[in-house]
Amino acid sequence: MADDKPDIARWVDEEAKAIGLPIAPEYRANVILNVERSLAIAQPLLAVELEDELTPAPVFRP
Amino acid sequence: MSDPLSKAATAAEIARAVAGGKAKASAVVEAALTRIDVTEPTVNAFTDIVAERARKRAAEIDAGRHRGPLMGVPFAVKNLFDIEGLPTRAGSKINVDGPKARRDGALVRRLEAAGAVLVGGLNMGEYAYDFTGENAHYGPSRNPHDPTRMTGGSSGGSGAAVASGEVPLALGSDTNGSIRVPSSLCGLFGLKPTYGRLSRAGSFPFVDAFDHLGPLARSTEDLALSFDAMQGWDPDDPVCTDRDPEPTALSLGEGIDGLRIAVAGDYFARGGEPEAFEAVATVAKALGATRTVILPQAAAARSAAYVITAMEGAQLHLPRLRTRPQDFDPETRERFMAGALLPGSWYVKAQRFRRHYRANVLKVFDEVDIVLAPATPASAPKIGQAMMKLDGVELSVRANLGVFTQPISFIGLPVVAVPTRQPGAMPIGVQVIARPYNEQAALRVAAHLEKQGVCVATPA
Repeated sequence: MADDKPDIARWVDEEAKAIGLPIAPEYRANVILNVERSLAIAQPLLAVELEDELTPAPVFRP
Repeated sequence: MSDPLSKAATAAEIARAVAGGKAKASAVVEAALTRIDVTEPTVNAFTDIVAERARKRAAEIDAGRHRGPLMGVPFAVKNLFDIEGLPTRAGSKINVDGPKARRDGALVRRLEAAGAVLVGGLNMGEYAYDFTGENAHYGPSRNPHDPTRMTGGSSGGSGAAVASGEVPLALGSDTNGSIRVPSSLCGLFGLKPTYGRLSRAGSFPFVDAFDHLGPLARSTEDLALSFDAMQGWDPDDPVCTDRDPEPTALSLGEGIDGLRIAVAGDYFARGGEPEAFEAVATVAKALGATRTVILPQAAAARSAAYVITAMEGAQLHLPRLRTRPQDFDPETRERFMAGALLPGSWYVKAQRFRRHYRANVLKVFDEVDIVLAPATPASAPKIGQAMMKLDGVELSVRANLGVFTQPISFIGLPVVAVPTRQPGAMPIGVQVIARPYNEQAALRVAAHLEKQGVCVATPA
């Protein structure tokens, strides 16, 4: 299943281009490291299954 | 009773002395300014000192122009609070080029209306994205109990200023633990109130979904007096509650009778050094708390808090990341950049999960009034230390100092961080957690622990 692993370097390069965030070469490796770290930390959240009825609780009051 | 001019004096002792004519506000403020002058080379807590403003205010108090429960009490604020006439640094270099604040932040105004005297702005981790108290632009704040060690952050200057005795009271902000972490590492009492309880108007934001403001002090009474002075609706903060203020100072001495107190198990009982769990056990024993409760899915809560923080924080700073990346602290820059690249579906899921987790945790508070948990997984690491060993696993200090605070602020529960300290060791704190808007119960428990001598904050 190694093919299913996201290519983080490509993710960083493409997404940064899409949102117009220039990332200087000297910052790039650490940005990739931090996206990898974020992916690992996000796993417990991504593993949770939520009911369709569960909506967020916004505080915006019209 | 401490000499009101000494570093050991609490805010309450100073206010009583000034109100009773036993001390002049001008003398108290002058003594604080002298201590700041002497202590700063060691602790690096302040980035801005407003000596002339403070002297003028103190003279007005002595002339009978301002009275109140914090009369003559010198205090300082994390430099993300607006101070009239100064740029609001928020720990950054970039903001110094921005506009100067046209008025003080809401909580600064409320404390001064209660008679307190602002003496300056305090060092912090850049844009509050920090648990260490280190800062590449202004240097690290240093732990007064051992200046080779971290204060914790991001309200690091707030921790250092109060723990060193420069001032008895400081304000900080807490998004994921930034009041509770420095309180733990510096051996202080800290209050992170219920989300929305205190106005955030006139403070530089980080993550609107979790940003809280609150006090750090060396006594529970000082937390209560300042909290009471700062409560109340403010139309300038859209999440500020319109509930009536619920004063806490007068009920501090009521003890813990009738309060059901439990220790958080599972997630909160692993992943830290033994000292963190020993601190909880010491406090639990003093309170007679034998019950254990589980806050379900706390690991996912920490994960969701991380995602929302990374993404909201990055979105806030995206224009500056595009135009002035070289002017960020290297320790925040690439974390912010990474946060800008995460998928939007993560953010929405984290917000949906937040409601689910809140509902389940509130069920626990049907059974108990107070839950105890570690404040930090370890006592203060060395300044510059990147990794620490927790439960035998080598982990990043920056990412992990807040593992026990994040799942609590994620749903806005009020917490008092209380200090413990073993002989010869650095301090370490415990979170006293209550249900929303029940700051009073957490403060009563903290006051009881203080009275028993189990939790004591002494200036270094």
